[in-house]
Amino acid sequence: MPSSLEHAAATATVLSELAFQRLYDANATSIHSYLLAVSARRDVADDLLQETFCRLLLHPETAARLDTLELRRYLFRIATNLLRDRHRSGDTTPFADPPEPTTHPSLDNTIDIRTMLQALKPRERELLWLAYVEGMDHAEISNATGLNRLSVRTLLFRARNKAKQFLAPARASL
Amino acid sequence: MTSENSTPHNTPQDDQLRQAFRTYAATLSTDLTPPPAAAILFRAERRRRRLAIERAERPLLIMQSLGTLCAAGTLAWLAYRFAPHTLPALNTTTLALTIACTTLILAGCWAMLHASRRTSA
Repeated sequence: MPSSLEHAAATATVLSELAFQRLYDANATSIHSYLLAVSARRDVADDLLQETFCRLLLHPETAARLDTLELRRYLFRIATNLLRDRHRSGDTTPFADPPEPTTHPSLDNTIDIRTMLQALKPRERELLWLAYVEGMDHAEISNATGLNRLSVRTLLFRARNKAKQFLAPARASL
Repeated sequence: MTSENSTPHNTPQDDQLRQAFRTYAATLSTDLTPPPAAAILFRAERRRRRLAIERAERPLLIMQSLGTLCAAGTLAWLAYRFAPHTLPALNTTTLALTIACTTLILAGCWAMLHASRRTSA
């Protein structure tokens, strides 16, 4: 017969798995999209997504002291660091296999954004994605990327201007 | 989120960019299927075990290295002492102690190596 201590430990394990499942369900898709948009490779995005959550699981004490929003930023920080490590290691096939959505709610925008992403540097993609898709401000982007806040402002300004050049033809053609 | 540091630049171009990014993100979210959480839990568990084994083996590795160094040092010293030239011969007690020490060190190295291999398996 299992002791009450064993029962408590088993319950705790189940609960932590449930908590992880909830956390994963809430964040996996957005981090997966981020990784795919920046790396432009589905296999890399899959692998880095697993690695991101794996690292979180290996440091449960960090996860325990963060609230939901902080945990989300922390996950983006891990994902960004992994992307950067991959970039530093030289494993960067530049948009050899760009993500191609099968559904096109707004075809013009989708095509423009893919062309734009292909032309931007990985760091610019990171910054624009975090700013526009995740809605982060400079401080939050700074936390998520490890960049200085002033650098974020400058780099984001440049990335935004660069991105706007790709939107211009689409606007002109309307 | 809306301090002087905040990102919103609400020019029409910024709105267009934001809209384009969000549309693209929405289409990606629809298409992407993240790996199951169970696969990640399994991967993390495997890594946790591997790290635990590595941590447990670290003292053994250190002792193995020290043992090998000691054995090599002893053998060198023995070779030096038994060299036929100039040096006086060892007395019986010193020789017996030296052989015993060397045997013990080699046996210890072998035992630790054997134990660490069994743990890894």
